[in-house]
Amino acid sequence: MKKYLSILSMQIINNIAYPGDFLGRSISIATFIFIFAGLWGTTFMIANTDVINGLTFPNMVWYFMMAETLELGRPRINRTISEQVKNGEVAYILNKPYNFLLYHFSAGLGDGAVRMTLNLIVGSIVAWILAGAPPPLLGWLMAFVTLIGAWILHFCFMALIGLAAFVVEETNSFELIYQKLVFILGGFLFPIDMFPTWLQNISYALPFPYMMYAPARLFVKPDVDLFWRMLGGQVFWVAVFVFLLAFVYQRSEKYLTVNGG
Amino acid sequence: MRQVKFILALWKANIQAAMEFRAAFFTQVIFMMINNGVYFIFWVLYFDKFNAVRGWDINTMMLLFGIAASAWGIGAFFFGNFISLAEVIVGGRLDYYLSLPRPVLLHVLASKSIGSGMGDLIYGIGSFMLSGYFTPDGTLRFLLGVFAGVCIFIGFLVIVQSLSFWLGNTVALSQFALSALLTFSLYPSVLFDATTKFILLTIIPAALIGTIPAEFVREFSWQSAIQMVSGSLVFLFLSIFIFKLGLKRYESGSAIQVEV
Repeated sequence: MKKYLSILSMQIINNIAYPGDFLGRSISIATFIFIFAGLWGTTFMIANTDVINGLTFPNMVWYFMMAETLELGRPRINRTISEQVKNGEVAYILNKPYNFLLYHFSAGLGDGAVRMTLNLIVGSIVAWILAGAPPPLLGWLMAFVTLIGAWILHFCFMALIGLAAFVVEETNSFELIYQKLVFILGGFLFPIDMFPTWLQNISYALPFPYMMYAPARLFVKPDVDLFWRMLGGQVFWVAVFVFLLAFVYQRSEKYLTVNGG
Repeated sequence: MRQVKFILALWKANIQAAMEFRAAFFTQVIFMMINNGVYFIFWVLYFDKFNAVRGWDINTMMLLFGIAASAWGIGAFFFGNFISLAEVIVGGRLDYYLSLPRPVLLHVLASKSIGSGMGDLIYGIGSFMLSGYFTPDGTLRFLLGVFAGVCIFIGFLVIVQSLSFWLGNTVALSQFALSALLTFSLYPSVLFDATTKFILLTIIPAALIGTIPAEFVREFSWQSAIQMVSGSLVFLFLSIFIFKLGLKRYESGSAIQVEV
């Protein structure tokens, strides 16, 4: 456990070592929130209403802030794993005294913790300016709890995509498709409350809402029933994907061919 | 004529290189088309609920996506280094191009091809054809809009990345500029207030890639035509000028590089 904490802290130090780059990344969230606020500000004005499917304009902006915090902070470890598999570096990592997946989990967590914290700070400032005061404390608490499950699910997907490099050359395309599925079915661009009923049913049957909609929606409209439902869904999907990841990792090791050198 | 032959030879070499790994290339193309299609579902859901926003409906959005995706696709496939120029400058990899008797900027840009760009291009053309504006004169205006989009994408990003000559590593800044330009270009500028619209026509010229060409294809207007043509020429010539100016400050690290 201690070694994984060291990997995590090392990654945090790496991230804050370059302040320019560190701040540069956070400007992105400001841009995206600005565009989104423009879209929904105009939409609410044209629809001539304060509430659309139970959500107000400030709800929408803060919802997007939380969703974007997670999207920009989620681990991109698929690219690292994929590169390590393709260039053979994986052979050097496998003989180290740590678990390959837990190593990436700790490194990704260190990376994500810094990014998400910074995005949350910059995003909150922008959202506050554009949409007024933030949601109540209960919303922050529910969002924080469900962010953990959401982050683990993202990790599992990213690791699965990265491990696909054992069997296919090009894995970046899988990430793009995965990202867009989260954008749409996860309720990133459009909260699931606004979907037609048939699409809501499809969406809830898949893991994506538990990775994005859960923390963002609970953040702006804390609801105890929804919280337990989302948490239950996260526990179920985390169990499924952790099992799947362990299985795929075991199989992947058998594909590994080391040519010496 | 000599430069045309040169660039055609570079593109031929890039295509031959892509065909060496054709399975990976076609995977990238197909997945990029699916990626764009899935992303567009957002607008399908949006306009299904709200019908139209300030004159923009689902067909206009298809047109905007058609123009922006085609412009991006052409840039990425034929001038792939336009998104990694800062890395080339900072990494001292200009040495290779400087030692050859060909225009440096053109050579750098066209030396790389991003396979997924072809997926964007095919998606963009398909989106335009389905938008309801696929008429003979609409097609001519679409081509002009795409051409302007290519010039602005490349011109703007070359300008930002050329700052590496003065500021050192601007990879993070370049990524932000790229992300802002691409994101804003996929939203109609009617959503924003006057100040933001001005920014989208000048500092981050995203409106010249998406909104203005889309409005130009919908209905011819001299104002849109002048905005597009003058904007693309200004960005293109400014980028060449700034790159050449920066090149005088270029310092090689004398590293041994292999250009593949």
